[in-house]
Amino acid sequence: MTPWVRRQQALADYTLAAMARRRVKNIGLLLIYALVIFVIASATLFSTALRHEAEIVLAEAPELIVQNLVMGRHDMISAEIIEELEAIRGVGGVTGRLWGYFYDRVNGANYTLMVPLDPKMVPPAGQALFGEALPRTRGLGWDTAPLFLSRYPGDLFRLDPAGRLSHESALVSADLILLGEEDFRAFFDLPPAVYTDIAVSIRNSREIDTIVAKAGKLLPNARLVTRDEISRTYQKLFYWREGIMVAMAGASVLAFAIFAAEKASGLSAEETREIGILKAIGWDTRDVIAMKLWEGGLISLGAFLFGTGLAYLHVFAFDAALFASVLKGWSVIYPDFRLTPMIDGVQLTALFFLTVLPYTAATIVPIWRAATADPDQVMR
Amino acid sequence: MISLHAVRKLYNEGRPSEVTALGGIDLEIARDALTVFRGPSGSGKTTLLSVISCMARPSSGRVFVDGRNVSGLPESFLTQERRRTFGFVFQRFNLIRGLTVLENVLLPAAPLGRAPRDDAERATARLEALGLGPKAHVLVEQLSGGEAQRTAIARALINDPPVLIADEPTANLDTELAMRFLDIVAGLRAEGRTVVMTSHDPRIWQAALVDRVVALRDGRLDEEQP
Repeated sequence: MTPWVRRQQALADYTLAAMARRRVKNIGLLLIYALVIFVIASATLFSTALRHEAEIVLAEAPELIVQNLVMGRHDMISAEIIEELEAIRGVGGVTGRLWGYFYDRVNGANYTLMVPLDPKMVPPAGQALFGEALPRTRGLGWDTAPLFLSRYPGDLFRLDPAGRLSHESALVSADLILLGEEDFRAFFDLPPAVYTDIAVSIRNSREIDTIVAKAGKLLPNARLVTRDEISRTYQKLFYWREGIMVAMAGASVLAFAIFAAEKASGLSAEETREIGILKAIGWDTRDVIAMKLWEGGLISLGAFLFGTGLAYLHVFAFDAALFASVLKGWSVIYPDFRLTPMIDGVQLTALFFLTVLPYTAATIVPIWRAATADPDQVMR
Repeated sequence: MISLHAVRKLYNEGRPSEVTALGGIDLEIARDALTVFRGPSGSGKTTLLSVISCMARPSSGRVFVDGRNVSGLPESFLTQERRRTFGFVFQRFNLIRGLTVLENVLLPAAPLGRAPRDDAERATARLEALGLGPKAHVLVEQLSGGEAQRTAIARALINDPPVLIADEPTANLDTELAMRFLDIVAGLRAEGRTVVMTSHDPRIWQAALVDRVVALRDGRLDEEQP
């Protein structure tokens, strides 16, 4: 073992003993620090998990969606457009999609009804696949109870459950009902040969801009939405929500930095005397600063691990109960959805530096001031 | 061993509250001798001890330790000189509460990066020699005055310094313990150490063991006795 390592070991041992002697103050500091980290880590973990959910869903989304616009608003699109799009070079496949919204007066929720593009996902006639939030909010017994939707007074449209949609896509499927084309057209009273919009797959994704330009010329009244645009919209939505939380947490960090600086600069008479004794018996300024850095490091690392661990439990075990309404509440049936545990290493590292460094920076100057005190003072 | 030339020490220099603690001291302290500074409160004894032991820099004048001028050294070099040359016993012993006797004794060795086992053996041997072996793992706040002082002596000697500095070491001790302290000092001198201390206790500066008494008054040398 090198002298440097032995020196660090001795300083760390002394630091632990010193912290144990002032355990009430140090535990209090650690708890406040951990609370600040808990808030920031919760916001970060939650937003990362939300974005991850969005990525899962969008990975399967079509590369280009074509929508018909009438008076600037989305309207049904004719099946004839499908053939025109198929004629564009580079287009892999073109499929008409059927989807729509239904306002359920029973619980005030807005459901999305959709005919799946994957034929294997299409349920038999009279049946539907439900998003996980739907039976819960309607209080349905899962395996047996049919869902009745009322479009107008006296009307009841029956859908028997064919299964439940996967938990991994819960972000956008929590309120989703998948049903067959005939049921869909019957439910919304749609004529044949019209679709809600058209999904286009592209052979070479690098050619998407060219194909969008060609489709734009072909269909001047259509809106063309690429998968990247949808993804960016999701990201912006989550960044905005995360931003609110981080701004709130930023205030906490600032308050904590002031608190830490005040704590460090207001060294008790006993601590000041102790530093004087250490210097008088042969410790130099570097030794005292190293000892205090060990102390700060142990507190900040402990608080980081504790705060982050609590945030992980809060977000993934308790559904971020404290912040969920700020971060995800744009639908009345979302608050119960569960996130898939997901940690971004880069974000965790950034969090570490954003929380540990401000503490160290806030304490280093007062510590340095105390460490450079004249050892002569203890002689008096 | 240690020599001072025209050493002055001012506190709050340049301010209305400026105080002259030492007003031009010329002094030689011999190796292996026991030197005692005596004088009334405020005469500059403790300041002189601080300047000699590299704890404080003189405002002017020069201090030589083993021929090296240490008066203008930067703090880090001054610390090294202090570590290498001096061990300290303070008036109030200045032990760190909440630590055991052994932990206190080992404190000066902590930043040196030596093998912990060797230091622990050396500390234990020193505690045994001072009659504190059974107290090694007792918290210092549970010690009597005499035990606390011997712990402070053991701590001062852990790095084996050639000079022991003691500031009013018997101020808080009864006669028996003061005599016991002188016995310990006699042992240290026998080991070849130089001892410099302050005292206004006649039991100390009248002791036969003392080689030289330096009297101070108002920051200046008052008289010298052999």
